[in-house]
Amino acid sequence: MDIAAGLMHGFALALQPANLWWCFVGVLLGTVVGIMPGLGPPATIAMLLPLTALMNPAGAIIMLAGIYYGAKYGGSTTSILLNVPGESASVVTCIDGYQMARKGRAGPALGIAAIASFIAGTVGVIGLMLISPPLARFALAFSSPEYFALMTLGLAMVVLLAGRSMVKALLAMLVGLWLAGIGTDPFSTTSRFTFGRMELLSGIDFVVVAIGIFALGEVLANMEAREEPQALPVPKGLRNLLPTLRDLRDCRFAFVNGSVIGFLIGVLPGAGSTIASFISYGVEKAFSRRRDEFGTGVIEGVAAPEGANNSETGGALVPLLTLGIPGSGTTAILLAALVLWGFKPGPLFISEHPEMFWGLVASMYIGNVMLLILNLPLVPLFAQVLRAPVYVLYPVIFGLSIVGVYTVSGSVFDLALLAGFGLLGYVMRKLDYPSAPLVLGLVLGGAMERALRQSLMMSEGSLGILVSRPISALMLACAALVLLIPFFARLNTWRLRAMEEENK
Amino acid sequence: MKTLCMALAALTVAGAPAYAFKPTRPIEVVVHTGPGGGSDLLARAVATMIEKERLLPVRMQVVNKTGGGGAVAAAYLAEKAGEQNTIGFFTGVWLTGPLTSAEAKVTLRDLTPIARLVLEPALIAVKADAPYRTLGDFIAAAKERPGQLKQSGGSVTSRDNVVRQLLQKATGVRWAYISFPGGGERIAALLGGHVNVMVIEPAEAGEHIRAGNMRVLAQVSETRLAGFPDVPTLKEAGFDVPAVPQVRGVVAPPGIPAENVAYWEDVFRRLTRTASWRNFLADNQFEDGYQNAAELAKFYDEFTDRMRTILQEAGVKTVR
Repeated sequence: MDIAAGLMHGFALALQPANLWWCFVGVLLGTVVGIMPGLGPPATIAMLLPLTALMNPAGAIIMLAGIYYGAKYGGSTTSILLNVPGESASVVTCIDGYQMARKGRAGPALGIAAIASFIAGTVGVIGLMLISPPLARFALAFSSPEYFALMTLGLAMVVLLAGRSMVKALLAMLVGLWLAGIGTDPFSTTSRFTFGRMELLSGIDFVVVAIGIFALGEVLANMEAREEPQALPVPKGLRNLLPTLRDLRDCRFAFVNGSVIGFLIGVLPGAGSTIASFISYGVEKAFSRRRDEFGTGVIEGVAAPEGANNSETGGALVPLLTLGIPGSGTTAILLAALVLWGFKPGPLFISEHPEMFWGLVASMYIGNVMLLILNLPLVPLFAQVLRAPVYVLYPVIFGLSIVGVYTVSGSVFDLALLAGFGLLGYVMRKLDYPSAPLVLGLVLGGAMERALRQSLMMSEGSLGILVSRPISALMLACAALVLLIPFFARLNTWRLRAMEEENK
Repeated sequence: MKTLCMALAALTVAGAPAYAFKPTRPIEVVVHTGPGGGSDLLARAVATMIEKERLLPVRMQVVNKTGGGGAVAAAYLAEKAGEQNTIGFFTGVWLTGPLTSAEAKVTLRDLTPIARLVLEPALIAVKADAPYRTLGDFIAAAKERPGQLKQSGGSVTSRDNVVRQLLQKATGVRWAYISFPGGGERIAALLGGHVNVMVIEPAEAGEHIRAGNMRVLAQVSETRLAGFPDVPTLKEAGFDVPAVPQVRGVVAPPGIPAENVAYWEDVFRRLTRTASWRNFLADNQFEDGYQNAAELAKFYDEFTDRMRTILQEAGVKTVR
């Protein structure tokens, strides 16, 4: 009853014309920011912060949150069309999304990304609304050993990202882990693998590696192939540009999986949307009947991670609003914004400012609907991008990549790194090394190392802490199971072959 | 009419002293944290206040040069030698970073000190259901179980760890230190019961204390803070250790003329006299730490000498 009353008040606030307008401005800006590789929500929100000082706080938080979740919608666009991940959470989307585009199914891929985002985004808000306080306690039960186990589970997904050769996938992952080690040791502050370069002290930015290996590597490899001037087929007719009913049916499990996993991982302050998208992709593939087709343009492979990175935003607002603990760069700056407007975010925020909380929740329902209406018509429009001949498209991808990297760091050194990783991506393609495991290792490596070393500091060097805590032990067991999947798959093949032989 | 003109002229002079230097382009303000980090927020708050109080003829644009615990931002400023429309916000890590990292070559001495702005005191806090009522209780518990109790905090060169080192040295008691890169993770580790104690900034702790999740044992400050009149300082609690503040202030690139330094000193001195600034300090429970350029240079020398000794005693390898 409390919830119903709260939500009524929330909608009354969010439906005021001014707040509706700010919600629209937020989600529109978010979509644009998400599409631009490099420029992310934290930088955008930081730039707008001084302007919001003049606004009504409710309208301001509605707008800033709109940028946050709106960006998750746009992030998939460049991943699918150009193999350029718009943000780290969209790397997984490249795997199947770009393959779908290559097969002429860019429209359905973009469409399913918007639909999955809408469903999961809404589920995330429902979760935020209904179960925030108990979930916040659940999040606090997580500490370093649990995070280490979660990262291990994420890393185990490598067996599902591997192409033909498991050894090559593991090698690529190890390179990724090594890249994550470059920079300043987080504990002793000594530098590692920096070769005396000041620019490497902060490590290698994920965006540089992902854009280099995915986008530049792909362009280089395609240029060599001397394809037809028209790079990718784009079917005519609106019907071919949107997901079919069959696509939606294929994705029904992905919608649930992405929503639930994304939300639960989002609640954990130390995890993030990238691992959420990787794990939901892995789960989708592990339980799929057509597991072997993943990586060749399967629509669930787009729906699951795109859903996960949207419901993650609802989850990430749980520790922020119920405890005042930000879990990511974007939520940290939302926290700063609340402080700037004179609020004190913390455990008492919801009970003392219910109108802000419920207004935000209601605006997120509205915002997600707006995003769906905004994004679906854009699908046919964006799909036309692929009609451009390669001598236009490839230079555009190069330009976008360079601009994307430069907006993140403003460093010429990073552009040199970008070129290096582009070449690495090309070589990896030639030698048939999968690139996703490398990126996975890079994303999880840093957090995993920190979590392991923190755990060992807690236990004074005993590894027992990793298995003596129930949540951690459970997740490590899951990781072990995942690692055994290829083994079972092989057993199954043998069994089938043996049966065939018997039948002969 | 003549008197009016003279009065007007006098007013103008009093309002804005004439300096040979005046910024011509938007000022680039370099900070070492990403959007939302401590320095970033201070710089943006200062930019907003300076605009509101009309202390500068141009706008200020915050530029985030993250990485290397301040090393990247400091090096960026050093590269901009002689650049007149750039300044940066430093914090304690700009001072301690070069002590432990060979790559962090740029010290405050290589840049042009402008002004010190704030000192951030801290609190020593435990979870509300912890058995320790005073800092003495905690020290006694740590004595019983050496190395078993844990503190969450930032990197080893951060103020959190320096306070621990000083307390350990003064009492001969030892407890573990676990680094968490994000402030939120440190608080989550304490509230989740994974660590026993933390050094926390008053503004961060306020709401958790009010909600009854956290209890303060002592304050790392020379005098009691307005928001915590009943909590003893370290000295009052019986621990004779210096109250290490987190410092924040302004630097400029090397090689800028003396009149520019005077101009910036004046801008920030006038800022610290405004009501907005006093409210900002009160909201965040910061202490006014204003020092001019000469005082800041002296402070830097004393501070780094003291930190070097503390870090060496803590077993951290120093390179400068």
